[in-house]
Amino acid sequence: MTESPPPPQPFDASKITRPDDSLLVYYLLVAACTVVGFPFVFLPLWIRFKTLRYRFDDTGVSMCWGYFFRREVHLTYRRLQDIHVTRNIVERWMGLSKLPLQTASGTAGATMQIEGIRAPEPLRDFLYAQMRGARNETLDSESDDGEDDVLGVLTEIRNELRRIRNEPAGDET
Amino acid sequence: MTAPVARSSPWIYRGVWKILVDCFRVPDHPPTLPVADGDFYRSFQPSRAFLSYLKFNFWVVAVVIDLLIAVALGVVAIEADKLALVLTGIAIPLLLVGHLVAYIALHLRYDTMWYVITDRSLRARRGIWVIYEHTITFENVQNVYLRRGPLQHLFGISEIVVETAGSSQGEAESPFASGNKLLVQGIEDAAELREQIMSRVSQSRSAGLGDDRPASPTSGFSPRHLAMLCEIRDEIKCL
Repeated sequence: MTESPPPPQPFDASKITRPDDSLLVYYLLVAACTVVGFPFVFLPLWIRFKTLRYRFDDTGVSMCWGYFFRREVHLTYRRLQDIHVTRNIVERWMGLSKLPLQTASGTAGATMQIEGIRAPEPLRDFLYAQMRGARNETLDSESDDGEDDVLGVLTEIRNELRRIRNEPAGDET
Repeated sequence: MTAPVARSSPWIYRGVWKILVDCFRVPDHPPTLPVADGDFYRSFQPSRAFLSYLKFNFWVVAVVIDLLIAVALGVVAIEADKLALVLTGIAIPLLLVGHLVAYIALHLRYDTMWYVITDRSLRARRGIWVIYEHTITFENVQNVYLRRGPLQHLFGISEIVVETAGSSQGEAESPFASGNKLLVQGIEDAAELREQIMSRVSQSRSAGLGDDRPASPTSGFSPRHLAMLCEIRDEIKCL
């Protein structure tokens, strides 16, 4: 079955700095599932929610969270190996999703898990477009002016040689 | 199967499907991948033989469970007749409901499995309760292998596992959760698909990890460069 996908829409990933507010509600539900352990489960999650920051820039994405136990994770788009999008049923009801990003590191889990994203498809497509191998890079680099520089230098060398060759000839006659 | 059952089952199934789509937000359309116009794009589901394979597995497991319960009830019946009767009365409806749910779930599992393949990447989606979507580019693929058990051989299907770099804990059998493996199940023309994937993987010039594009174009002279170098050589010869 062959069909064409919808056209991509403009999307600015750098606007994503905080998880969606409903993530806190989701954390609340998660903590509520452990009836007795609610305060012990909810407090770390609440701190995590309050301190969670994302930064998407030109080359990579970083996230940091934690107050007592601070974690900062940075990764570059080109080192991305796998992009997952997982949504469990509660997250789907709340319109949330997780994006675990995988690099080639030795950890079995995801290197970075972006949480609390509404409408993950544009972000996923953005990350996919930045991934290694998603674009035709060899064609891009051939058409840029870097190679014309080389050609220019070679042309100069030829012209110089031609001048040198012509000069002694001119002296003799 | 009687005619009314045959007629009503797709109807019931459509109802279950609609509930899942409306209430449980299961996406009812295949996943998509952004591609440039005119590029290769194919989205597909596992072959029908995979559904038969799942059904066969279902019946084998169901028969085994039913037999075990029948034997257990028989043992109870030797000791206490009335208790066994009561237990049978409870067990039969429970088993029927269980079988029905499992049978519908099997169809749902099949219907929610989607694969998209383009020139550059592969995307897979599956799941009902938790929906997994997994995207990898062929540039990052480390190896591809084909698996086929005796039962799958009987049904003429195989599965392909596409791996990227990273660690997997042993032979983790849930590639969707473990991260760096993508499992394509229920493929009839598996060798062909593997060739498709491998040819795209081998087209990639780099070794596989990180950025290793050459910084200097020493090995990448274009015809125009070569022509210019030849001119320079000729100039030197004439000196």
